[in-house]
Amino acid sequence: MTRSYSAALPIAYIVLRLLIVLNWLMAAAIFVLLFVVPHEQWIMSEFGISPSPDTDKLIMGMRTVAVIGLITVPLNYLGLKRLVAMVDTVRAGDPFVAANAYRLRAIAWLLLVLQCLSLVVGLIGREISSPAHPVHFDAGFSINGWLAVLLTFLLARVFAEGTLMREDLEGTI
Amino acid sequence: MAIIVKLDDLLHDRRMTLSELAERVGITLANLSILKTGKARAIRFSTLEAICAALGCQPGDILEYRADEAGG
Repeated sequence: MTRSYSAALPIAYIVLRLLIVLNWLMAAAIFVLLFVVPHEQWIMSEFGISPSPDTDKLIMGMRTVAVIGLITVPLNYLGLKRLVAMVDTVRAGDPFVAANAYRLRAIAWLLLVLQCLSLVVGLIGREISSPAHPVHFDAGFSINGWLAVLLTFLLARVFAEGTLMREDLEGTI
Repeated sequence: MAIIVKLDDLLHDRRMTLSELAERVGITLANLSILKTGKARAIRFSTLEAICAALGCQPGDILEYRADEAGG
């Protein structure tokens, strides 16, 4: 059992590093979309939006979603950075440390914020969607997402208790 | 800590070194040193029993409670 996850660790490390890079690429793409090519005509032609009374609302909604996307970038980075640090402790053979309990709790809070932002994006999508321009964002309420938040908070607590127990055991002569 | 480990006094009385005790008790010198300096968080009954047997003493001879040092 101790060796069964030996391949998983390097894979997790590489995937997390890759996700960090992709996260920054996403930030650059959103930044370009928001500030470098902010012309309405370009947006309308790229997204196939025909002029209508709802166009302004639609574009404003999409811009708001883009801003929210930009906000999620540092949050994603903070979460991924902590995950990399946790993987590093597992690789070093000493994962049951108090720092990892704090990291897990921080990740749980970040996930909670991301779920709330996802709700906001879902609501915006519903608000700006019309029969002429149906909009669907892959966001909104997700039972799996909220379960992940709860599970991460729970795991952080379990980890903290386990760390304390380990410290007690190590200090037992 | 309010619990004082009096291992030093006992060793002195019995003219025994910490290394000798570690050898007799069967625990490492490092762990015994942690116990002696009061840095241990807990002591197993089996360790206490082995130390008592090696030094010919009672648990109360090794440990002492001092209320004035509580929370330290």
